[in-house]
Parts: sequence; structure tokens; C-alpha cells
Amino acid sequence: MTETIELALKTLEAQLNQPLETALEACARCGLCAEACHYYRAEPKVEHIPAYRSEQLRNVYRYEHDFLSRVFPAWTGAKKLDEVTLANLSEMAYSQCTLCRRCTVNCPLGVDTPLMMRAIRAMATATGNAPEILVMLADAAIEKGKDPSFYKDMFLEQIREMEEQLRDITGDPNASIPVEKQGTKILYVPLAGAHTILPPAVVFNAAKEDWTLSIFEAANYGVFLADVNRAKAVAKRIVDEANRLGVKEIVIAECGHAYASYRWDVPNWFAGQFDFKVRSLIEVLAEYIRDGKIKVDPTAIPEGVTYHDSCNLARNGGLIEEPRYVLNKITTDFREMTPNKAEAICCGGGGGLVALAEYTERRLAAGKPKADQIKKTGARVVVAACENCRLQIGDLNEHYNLNVRITALTDLVVRAMRLPKPLPGTEAEHLFEGEGALVEK
Amino acid sequence: MNMLMFSQFLALAGLLAGVYGIYRRYAETKRRALPADKSPLKGNPQHGVTYAFTLGMMPWAKESTRLHMIAYLRGIGFHIGIFTAIGALIVSPFWGFLPAVLNLSLTVVLGIGSLLGAAGGVMRLTEHNLRGLSIPDDHFAVWLVTVWMAVSALAVWNEAFLVAFYILSAITLAYMPLGKIRHCLYFFFSRTFFGKFFGRRAVFPHPETAK
Repeated sequence: MTETIELALKTLEAQLNQPLETALEACARCGLCAEACHYYRAEPKVEHIPAYRSEQLRNVYRYEHDFLSRVFPAWTGAKKLDEVTLANLSEMAYSQCTLCRRCTVNCPLGVDTPLMMRAIRAMATATGNAPEILVMLADAAIEKGKDPSFYKDMFLEQIREMEEQLRDITGDPNASIPVEKQGTKILYVPLAGAHTILPPAVVFNAAKEDWTLSIFEAANYGVFLADVNRAKAVAKRIVDEANRLGVKEIVIAECGHAYASYRWDVPNWFAGQFDFKVRSLIEVLAEYIRDGKIKVDPTAIPEGVTYHDSCNLARNGGLIEEPRYVLNKITTDFREMTPNKAEAICCGGGGGLVALAEYTERRLAAGKPKADQIKKTGARVVVAACENCRLQIGDLNEHYNLNVRITALTDLVVRAMRLPKPLPGTEAEHLFEGEGALVEK
Repeated sequence: MNMLMFSQFLALAGLLAGVYGIYRRYAETKRRALPADKSPLKGNPQHGVTYAFTLGMMPWAKESTRLHMIAYLRGIGFHIGIFTAIGALIVSPFWGFLPAVLNLSLTVVLGIGSLLGAAGGVMRLTEHNLRGLSIPDDHFAVWLVTVWMAVSALAVWNEAFLVAFYILSAITLAYMPLGKIRHCLYFFFSRTFFGKFFGRRAVFPHPETAK
């Protein structure tokens, strides 16, 4: 046995807890999960059935743990792990599964296939078989946390420019974007890019919120690598920042995996040091509208609008009704995709797939069921409250000629606030103005 | 000791071996870590577990079972037959004392169960996806249980099949913890974890989901 294989098996053993062993043991191979998977829907073949994918790890597990499999490996398909098998497993887990858990929801036994795909991803990461770009992005984020001073001045300069824009858009000379302000109620954690800072800043200012901006971004590539140590190191930057500033609440930008990890995983990783409430920006928008903290025009968006449920926000995160509440307050023609909510079809961009250029063709092919769903609604505007979903649906838009505009929820809310000037640099801006406008001003 | 008594001892030994083997599996799994979830609740994990074992098992609860309603109901009927066969084995010394209508009911349930099992076995051989997914253990398990149920049905009706029934019971129950049939144990683990996960997040049960 080579050192690599030994390390891969050791990594599998380290993860083998009750839920993982259950997932490895429970499957009856009934095949009912097939159509649950967007890969299978796009290209129906046995290799795309979730049970088939998880069976590839089960074969390795059985060889190590099952009496009958050790005596008669052919009887159960048990297989000794070797370098080729490990490479195939790694490629499968990173390129043919977005960890969306739609198969779990559709399994009569509730088998958690993504848990097994995560186990493979962890084995791949530990042995250097994970996609390099994900490792680099995770490590870069960790480095940034070690010495933020390197880029902080530049970041603050950009924020000051954004503040000027904010005052211009809102007509409020006192509108501001406080950065790392001590003792505020909310620490808002954006993603990389002004598009996740300026629109929320408009909303926070309008709501007269006591908030501050994090200097870090919410994305956590350690999560995609299923590398808890890396994921914790990335998250620690924000946990430390929140502790240092003494905030009460962390609000995460419109991002599926970031919300799911900070809301459901980080409290477990940092038990005892994490007393913050974690909310998605979506929940905050819903609260502001419900409580009248921001005023929105209910007729602001007359175009047909549909909403894509990010798997991490809805099925894995429990944010199902909140975005719909917001949309119903600002649109007059909201159209649901079918199926939706906990049964929504994955767009194909999750699990870090949008960052992996080598799998673009596969990703676009797997996105066809989502593209078909969007087409069927006849909507001209697709709202996606997750950055990766937006990128993927943007690519699907081009690839399948959907002729839709893809926008974040916050951008649409800002449009509905009827500000003196449009929000620049967002898709929502184009709904009303300029070339290709969908709606008359 | 006559053949019938010998076969009864075999069945008892098979039952004990099966129960012990499943207990060993249970104990091994329980020995593994169970990560505590300290994230603040949105929903209720207990409600999720209740849902997972009740409404969540209904044929209309999932897209997969709505799409494959007949296959799912076939599976449900097959498993009802299996549990009936285990019950029938336990009460087998008293079959002669049971009312005729109960014996007839047993025969019918076991007979239907075995027919549904045979259908499943044929599907595994003929249906493209199922054939691709199946390992030898799957084929063996479904036919073993199917034949056991069929012989159970005959044995309830006719004593001539009792020896065969007990021998097959011994083989089936002894095999239970060794092969695929042990998913009967992990079903309970799996649905419990499912319920806790989605219940905590208020995804299931959720009155508005899956519309």
C-alpha cells in the first residue's frame, strides 16, 4: 500500500462517524434516486445515478470493513483502493456532484449521498487529488486572514469611493459604509466585489441599521474541499473579527454555501466562542419590509419574475419562505418554477463547480434541467440569492439562449425602493434603463 | 430428533444468529462518533424524525415515489411480506391453534409479498438502471427472501412445507447481518438522521414545501 493510499484510507477512517457509516450501509440500490439528480436528468445513464456514485465509495469501505466482502469481494463489489480508483473517485466527487442533497430528499431511506461525496472530497484533498484552484482559493483566504493589513488600505479606499456612489444614489449626504466599527449590532460579511456591498449598504442606510462591514469575504472554499481544518481557518477570520468588534449578529451576503456553513456548521466548529446570531441578508430584507423599516413599491417590478432556490439556502439551509415573502412585496407577476423549494432542482453550479474551468462543459450540460425549468416559467427575470447560482444561471442563459436577466434579491429590493438614481453595475439596473431594458421607466 | 424438530432448531439458531449479528452491527455503529449539533434551531429535530418515519414515507411525499409510484408500492408490499414472515416464524408453533381466517390472511399476505419480491427480482435482472446498480448480493438477497416468503405461505397452508420453511428461515435470518438485508437496521438510523437534519432546519416538516 502506497503512502497516498494509506493517507486516503486514514482520512476515510477519521470521518467514519455514525451518519457516514449509516449512509454507507443503508442503500438498497433501488434506483429511485435517479431522476433526483440533475446530472441524470440531463444525461440519463447509470453512472449518473446517485446510488451508483456512492457505490464507488462503498466498494472501498466494504473491502476495509465488511466480513463477507473480505472473503468474497466479487459478491459485494468490494474493491481495494488504489491510485487509479482514488483519482476516479476524486474526479467524480468534484465534477459530478454539487452536494445539493436532492437525492437524499428523494431516497426512501434518506441516504445522505452528499455526505459520502464529501468524504471522497476530503480523501482527495488530503492526498493532493483535489482541484488545485479550490486549494489555492482556500489558502489565499487563510493567508489574507493572517495579515489583512496588506490589502486593507486599498480596500478602505475602494469603500470610500463606494460611499460617494452611495450618497449619489440615495441622495443622502450622511449615508455611509462603516468598516469594522466597534460594537455595532450587525457585522455584514460580503462577497468579493462591490455588487455585494453597495446594494446592501443602500438598504442598511435606509433602515437606519446599526451595522458595519467586514473586511473579509464570506466565501469559504475550504467547505468545497471538505477540509474542516481549512474551512475552520477561513471561518475563523470572521469569528475573530466579530468577537473583536463585539457585534451581536453576523449577516451573510446572498451566498448559499457561506450561509449554510456559518448558520449550521460554524457554531459547531467554534463551540463556546461563537455566540452570534447568524442570518442571511435575505432574512434581514424580509424583516425590514415586514417591519416597515424600508419602503418598497409593490408595483415596482411588473415583469415576470421567477426565483431559483439555491440548494444551500433552501433544502440545506431552511430559507424557503423568506425570499418569497420579499418577492411578493415587490413584484406583481411572480412565477414559481416546478418543482421548487425543498424539491428544487440544482442549477449545477454548486459544490465549487463554477470555479472549476476544466468541468465547464459538464456543468453546462448538467444545468439543462434548470434551464428548461426557467424557460417553462416564461419569466424574463430570474432571481438567485446565491453568487454561484447566479454565475451558473448566467452561463446557462447564454448557453441555452434563455433571454433572461439574472439578479440578486437585494438588487431588486433596491430597485423597488425607488431611489433618486439607479443602482449602477447590477442586472436590476438594466431592468429599467438603457439598451435592452425590459421595463419602461 | 425428527427432521421437523431439527429444522426448527436450525431456524431458532438462524434467528439467534441474525439477531446477534444485527445487534453487533448496531453496537459497532453506535460506538462511532455522533457529532453533536450545536447550531441554533430553526425548526424541530424531533418533529423532523416523526415526519421521516410517517408522512415522509408516504408515496406522495417525494418526487421519486410520485414518479415511480408502482415500484415504490411494490417495495412497500414486499417489505410488509418480510415482516409478516418474521412474525409468522415466531408464531409458527401455534399455527394449528390460530383461527382459519388468520391463517388464510397470513397466506395471502405472504403470497402477495413473494409475488412482489419476484417482480422486484425480475426488475433487477431486466431493468437497465437496476441491473447496472445491482451487485450479486442484491440478486441473492431478493430471491432468498422471495422464496422464503413463498415457502412461508405454503407452510401456513400445508404442513408438508414446514421443514423447508424452517430451513429457509434459518438461512435467511443467518444471512441477514452479513449481506444487503442488514439495511433493515440502517433504515432506522438513516431516517432518524434525515429527520434530525431537515427538522432542525425547518425544511421537513414544512407545510409549504414540495408544492
